[in-house]
Amino acid sequence: MLKEVIHGDIGESYVKAVHSSGLKIYILEKPQYNSCYAIFGTKYGSIDTTFSVNGETTSVPEGIAHFLEHKLFESEDGDAFTKYAKTGAYANAFTSFDKTCYLFSCSNLFYDNLEILLSFVQSPYFTQATVEKEQGIIGQEIRMYDDSPAWRVMFNMLLSMYKNHPVRIDIAGTTDSIAKIDADLLYKCYNTFYNPSNMFLCIAGNVETDKILKMVEGGIKESKPLEIERIKPEEPEEVLKSEVSQNLAVAQPMFCFGYKLPYEKMPSVKDRVCIEILLEVIAGDCSPLYKKLMNEGLINDDFSFEHFCGDGYNAVIFEGDSCDPKAVAEEIKAEIERIKNDGINKKLFSAIRSGLYGSAIRSFNSVESCAMQFVDCAMNDTSLFDELKYLKSVTMESVLKRLALLDSEKTVLSVINPLKED
Amino acid sequence: MSNKIIPLSDGVEGLFIQNHRFNTTSVSFNFYLPMQKSTVANNALLPFILTSCSKDYPDFTALNLKLSKLYGARLDSSCEKYGDCQLLRMTISVIDDKFSFDSDSLVLEASELLLKLVFNPNAENGEFKANDVEREKRKAIEHIRGEIAEKRVYAKNRMISEMFEGTPYGIPKCGTVSDVENVTVKSLYSAWCNMLETAFVRVHVVGGAVPQGLFENIKERFEAVNRHDITDCRICKPAQKTAKVNTVFEKMDVKQGKIVMGFSSDIYGDDDMSLPLLVMCDIFGGGPYSRLFTNVREKMSLCYYCAASSVRYKGLLTVDSGVEVENAGKAIDEILNQLEIMKKGEFSDSEFESSIKSICDSMKTYYDSQNSLDLWYALKVNNQNLYSPEDIIEKIKNITKEDVIYAARGVNLHTVYKLLPKEGVIC
Repeated sequence: MLKEVIHGDIGESYVKAVHSSGLKIYILEKPQYNSCYAIFGTKYGSIDTTFSVNGETTSVPEGIAHFLEHKLFESEDGDAFTKYAKTGAYANAFTSFDKTCYLFSCSNLFYDNLEILLSFVQSPYFTQATVEKEQGIIGQEIRMYDDSPAWRVMFNMLLSMYKNHPVRIDIAGTTDSIAKIDADLLYKCYNTFYNPSNMFLCIAGNVETDKILKMVEGGIKESKPLEIERIKPEEPEEVLKSEVSQNLAVAQPMFCFGYKLPYEKMPSVKDRVCIEILLEVIAGDCSPLYKKLMNEGLINDDFSFEHFCGDGYNAVIFEGDSCDPKAVAEEIKAEIERIKNDGINKKLFSAIRSGLYGSAIRSFNSVESCAMQFVDCAMNDTSLFDELKYLKSVTMESVLKRLALLDSEKTVLSVINPLKED
Repeated sequence: MSNKIIPLSDGVEGLFIQNHRFNTTSVSFNFYLPMQKSTVANNALLPFILTSCSKDYPDFTALNLKLSKLYGARLDSSCEKYGDCQLLRMTISVIDDKFSFDSDSLVLEASELLLKLVFNPNAENGEFKANDVEREKRKAIEHIRGEIAEKRVYAKNRMISEMFEGTPYGIPKCGTVSDVENVTVKSLYSAWCNMLETAFVRVHVVGGAVPQGLFENIKERFEAVNRHDITDCRICKPAQKTAKVNTVFEKMDVKQGKIVMGFSSDIYGDDDMSLPLLVMCDIFGGGPYSRLFTNVREKMSLCYYCAASSVRYKGLLTVDSGVEVENAGKAIDEILNQLEIMKKGEFSDSEFESSIKSICDSMKTYYDSQNSLDLWYALKVNNQNLYSPEDIIEKIKNITKEDVIYAARGVNLHTVYKLLPKEGVIC
């Protein structure tokens, strides 16, 4: 197994290894800790609706990656949760736009739990009867999300921002789309995307690296790496429509205001750090815009922002509750134009950079956070310490360069309004 | 010195929870006051206004800039229910000095900042500043009204308010919208004075060391205050049994219904009294191996989630579930059926052992989270003994199946709250 040790300058170091099957393994030892966190994941999410392997193209129903995640817990010899129950671990899984992850955390019997994890994720078992049962459960999950204003405000925005890209699809699908899923389709998706060369194992906590690598050596099924072509339709640079709204049971309007950024390739660590700083400069809690919006009663403590990016999609999103979302959107636009003209205040930039550096250091406190950061490293082929390193040297000029990506002609304002009273 | 209470003043204690594994040190102020309708809203606003500005930083963005310069020092504030008390928390957490570029004394500076925020608010002549009060009132009102968007939380809070109507625990933790609207610059200032004078206070430091002189400074500050009628956190009335179950319906524009069931428990109180209830609740509805998950969700597919939780010092057990309207009646019947199974002891040894393992496992993880460790001790002030997570693990290991059955037999349905779609038959 290829193995390298990567050192940071904050007293942490980790091992990255690659199994002969292509599986990537990341391990950060934290001997002072009681707990361990392990994630076994695949680069397969809701956006992977059309793919080609060995020249054969397949299109699958929406929501199948999430459906598969639910079903994988059942094996022929029983349920994974039953096995974890005997060891006392906390286990869960999630599917997002571009990945599916199976995880556990524990403070005892780590290697027993790792064996369970490696075993059940590599043991698919789907029958028509179990598929039908799951359709009922997932149908209820979909209805739970349909009622969730926070979920709807984001997905309505994505539907309006992206004309063709499957990021606009609901991760769980719809009750109609999941009705089309059968055992054969599940096996097809599993055999494509759950090939170890497309997967990663990320571990942080009170563990021994060599012991893990020995387990993994013999614990991954033999397979040949697969070349997967992920087919995405052409996506125009423009948004589909600039405003969308829906009425749900909320007390005051919720909003999601997004800028669609150009996409040529996956944003690098430098891109992401610069955009993170830029967002703080524009609307962080030290910024003039934040002060204005708060003093005018236009935002509250739920106001937030993020850089949202993945294979084929790139956006910055501002979210919150407001009595006047349109006014918030106009103020954000105006502030971005002002910064384009006036530049960035030096003191503000310096304070933000120190703040983000401190937050990056803080993130190493948590084994869960470290394991999740490893997932990001696996997905983007980066190092755990890249962000910290770049934060020490990033310049205001680099941040300002990224400001040009924000085009006020390519924005979407999604609003959830309160229900009209009868 | 660590994990031992350090008396600082009348009703003021310090606690140093030594833990070298983190890159940060945190300091928290915990104020315990009686939960009362007349004071709840003023008290609830205090942590938020005190951590937004101060005499030295009258502008909240100036304070936030200072925190950013302190390498992203984090200020958190909250208001929680604790027994029949209101718990007001203000915490600062900062990376350790060794990570700073310029050898700054980050931990000392951050802890002094928090001390000044608590004791030197942006106030004059017996009043807070009007614009600060209006801002915090607006945010509080929006937060209270916004609860309706989180249906699971909304439904749980509604059940609590029904089950504990007329008692302190039934009061919403931040008051109602009308309570907040009645807060004034003067009433808030009086609440701040009252907090310093009468609250039971516990100051926690979690990290490698106590910042130099911190506990001495706190002692000095409180000795200058006229302390009197200190809150007694041990006063906590448990949930009362009822002869007739109270069932409440509410209809909203939702697609999925919510059911929340409140049960009273004969076992309640501090750790020494109530740990069997913790284990019983876990086997009943704690995790994916529990009776509710495996039966109500997995076998019968009646719901997407169905989980139990307990508030041991109140003798309260809650089951909450997301269901389709047509399944609501069946789900309730099955939940009660599973409770009967617990009372008869018809759960397996392996379910019992899984629960013990899972609880012990999760107790150990407290040591790996600074926030969790801080909160653990903040929720132990009405316990006779200050047990650590390790202490609780030892006690859990001594609990028997019979203890769990006994705990289950003392659990009785009190209130059922149903949030249902506007269309459809109530069942």
